[in-house]
Amino acid sequence: MTAKDFWFESTVAVIGAGSWGTVLANLLARNCREVRLWCRDEEQTRAMTTTRVNARYLPEMILDPKIRIFSDFERIFETHVGAVIWALPSYACRERMREAARFFRGDEFLFHATKGVEEKTLKRISEILKEEIPCARIGVISGPNLAIEIARGDPSATVIASQYDEVTETGVTLLANEMFRVYSSYDVIGVEWSGALKNILSVAGGALEALKMGGNARAMLITRGLAEMARFGVAMGGQEHTFMGLAGLGDLLATSSSPLSRNFRTGYQRAQGEKLENILKSLGGVAEGVRMAAIVRAAAQEHKVIMPLSESVQRFLEGSVDIQDGIRSLMARPMGREY
Amino acid sequence: MSSKRAKSHPAVQFKEVPIVKGPLDHFEKMRPEVLASVVEKTFEGYCNSSNGNYDLILGQALYQERFRLKRFHANVFSKTRKRNDERLWREVQAGLLRPSTEIARPQLLRKVLSHYSEEIGGHFDPAVYRVAVNLVPFGLSWMLNAASVKRFLPWDLTQSLESRMRIYGEVEHLKKLAQKGTILLVPTHQSNLDSILIGYLIYLMQLPPFAYGAGLNLFSNPVLSYFMGNLGAYTVDRQKSNEVYKNVLKNYSAEILKRGVHSIFFPGGGRARSGAIETKVKLGLLGTALDAQLDNHLAGAPKPNVYVVPMTISFHFVLEAASLIEDYLAEAGKHRYIIMDDESWQPTKVARFFWKFFSSQSAVTARIGRPLDVFGNFVDEEGRSLGPNGTVIDPKLWMTTCGQLRREPQRDREYTKELGKKIVERFHRENTILTSHLAAFAFFEILRRKYQDLDVYRFLRLSQAQRSMHYDEFLSKAEEYRRKLQELEEQRKLYLSEELKAVSTEEWVKDGVRQLGLLHDSPVIRIQDGVIFTEDMNLLYYYRNRLSGYGLSLLAEGQIGPGKDDSKGFLV
Repeated sequence: MTAKDFWFESTVAVIGAGSWGTVLANLLARNCREVRLWCRDEEQTRAMTTTRVNARYLPEMILDPKIRIFSDFERIFETHVGAVIWALPSYACRERMREAARFFRGDEFLFHATKGVEEKTLKRISEILKEEIPCARIGVISGPNLAIEIARGDPSATVIASQYDEVTETGVTLLANEMFRVYSSYDVIGVEWSGALKNILSVAGGALEALKMGGNARAMLITRGLAEMARFGVAMGGQEHTFMGLAGLGDLLATSSSPLSRNFRTGYQRAQGEKLENILKSLGGVAEGVRMAAIVRAAAQEHKVIMPLSESVQRFLEGSVDIQDGIRSLMARPMGREY
Repeated sequence: MSSKRAKSHPAVQFKEVPIVKGPLDHFEKMRPEVLASVVEKTFEGYCNSSNGNYDLILGQALYQERFRLKRFHANVFSKTRKRNDERLWREVQAGLLRPSTEIARPQLLRKVLSHYSEEIGGHFDPAVYRVAVNLVPFGLSWMLNAASVKRFLPWDLTQSLESRMRIYGEVEHLKKLAQKGTILLVPTHQSNLDSILIGYLIYLMQLPPFAYGAGLNLFSNPVLSYFMGNLGAYTVDRQKSNEVYKNVLKNYSAEILKRGVHSIFFPGGGRARSGAIETKVKLGLLGTALDAQLDNHLAGAPKPNVYVVPMTISFHFVLEAASLIEDYLAEAGKHRYIIMDDESWQPTKVARFFWKFFSSQSAVTARIGRPLDVFGNFVDEEGRSLGPNGTVIDPKLWMTTCGQLRREPQRDREYTKELGKKIVERFHRENTILTSHLAAFAFFEILRRKYQDLDVYRFLRLSQAQRSMHYDEFLSKAEEYRRKLQELEEQRKLYLSEELKAVSTEEWVKDGVRQLGLLHDSPVIRIQDGVIFTEDMNLLYYYRNRLSGYGLSLLAEGQIGPGKDDSKGFLV
């Protein structure tokens, strides 16, 4: 039996029914027998089961008939699940993993699609998975994946990183289709950190848009932002070329210029003078960039990595500096060599 | 001194230790079978992976072997071996020159495999083992009595051993697991004496004899060769770098593990040249643990599990320290060439080692670490693998892919890599710091502060006058380091020896300075007229390195990880 046949006969689970989790469930449904989608909210679960859409996050997309939605882990793990994709906001990961840990046997392949790291400990999500779930084979999914576009069926690509070939191969088998390309990588650290770091710059991208700044400014933000992302990522053990790939540059390009990104919208509204808490309330989802900006500032200082852009975003978000002053002080930094 | 206070783990007995039998006792009976399956398994591996391109495999091995033999200067004891090797490879060469219809390549490969497996395969003679375990303490006691004429036999033999050998850690856990599966003991490696010492400790812990890999160069000493050859040692020739040899060696190791023969590997590959704890381990042989266990699962063996047990050994002095550190510093020496004839086996040196060992109050400290499974997970007393938060893991499921229990070479290599990382981490955490290590470390680091701009090579060449400081200055700063170590011990990042725990600064420093490299021609550190100085910077560096990797060094204040060099070439 080939791996493709095996997975076509298997059940897989997605933990988290946000917009990305819901799209992932639909992608998976094409390549396996059954997808079990875990949703925190019972009411939403019932609604999704009857209406077959995720009205809260993704009303445009009809759920594949192979998807079954549950709000308790007992039902998700009722019979054997071959692979589990975690698609939760970073702050919720550890707690949920702890709740679900006892249902795992050990041979499940784990993936996560969370673009963030744990506060204070700076642990990457794959590290948390390793600490909480009794499984060894773990991979991360990251890339320029705006959920709505994939739901529409627009062409898109992503990266799956894992130290185990069988994990990346499984990821390709489970997710790829004619409109969705899946690349593989060994650089788990680089892929996870690029996913986390680009969110901060995406906020800055939104702010530039609100100020109606042109292509030059955006290009500067993206290239210099990428440089500092890579600098930090390498200090954390990632590889530089990962940042030039889909998970780094690719994701940065997509989210720092697209109003579909929640981080982008946060920056946009904040630059128009809206209060941060009001923005977050109206967002209908989590803006990981806001959390990451605070987390990364402390970490960058500790690791002696210079990250002027991320730091400015943090100060602009918390309100300690006005956007125009922020840009002025960034522009007034001493000139240096590009590399 | 407080050394009398320090007692080994209560499960270790020194008096009337019974000899425990194990699978090695029947080794002679199963040896032909072992060798045959090693040849078979290696051969099958080539059939499956290389599409039968035997010419290439044999050609590569032939090239490397001829190159090696050309440079290999045999002595009286290795002459025969060399001649046999040469004969084999001449035959292979002649065979390869003939068409394959005439000389069948698979037969030729099998011949090479049998030759290698015969060379690697050890022997075990229970009678020799009995002699050996009695001889070791007898030899030691003889030295002891000669060395301590003044005291004239105030102790009996076992008491003296008891006060010099300290064994701590998970002794009972190890003994329990030895009943439930196969043990792979992985110790730190500093000296050629380690093998003898570990062998003896195993006997003291009342475990059955273990098999272990010993460098072929050790077999050139006839007495040693006789003992090792009959005590389950199999030969490892690190000069044979060809793939065929490596595969035979790995399969031999896997085969005996599979048959429940407890084994010892030095995962660092050789003695630590720098004196530091291993920061990298060799994964080739280590991977045979997982290999053996997987085969056992597939065969439905009753005791399939292999348990990997780290062990650390701490010495106040290492017999061959001077040549090791020189080798390390000569850069070229880093694992690239093997010292065939170093001072450690010159009989006079060995005799002096034991003499000094027993005439001083020196002690060897060994610690059995927490046992691991083949993936690097901790194992409980029942032999079950423990996952996060103490959950029990079924190892079979970690080896299952697409619903099938099976070998996946890339996956298994990654598992072994994780195991290797875990062993390195455990080595550092289970390390026992002795007074001499700290004295050397403190002295070196305090001196370093004065010459921060020098790289390691220039620093080691400081003049006599530059290598000294006031004793009082040293005392206060050395005590600061001890406090840092105490903090690390509270965080369970290392262990301190009894002498480092409770006594006053003056006392531990004196003990450390006295013990440090006691066997060398001159003391490494001396105190005279209120000045403390060193005679030998290289040796100081060697002993200091035992405390590298803990972030204590002045140089560790950057972002450099343990075991790495900083820009000036010091081990951080």
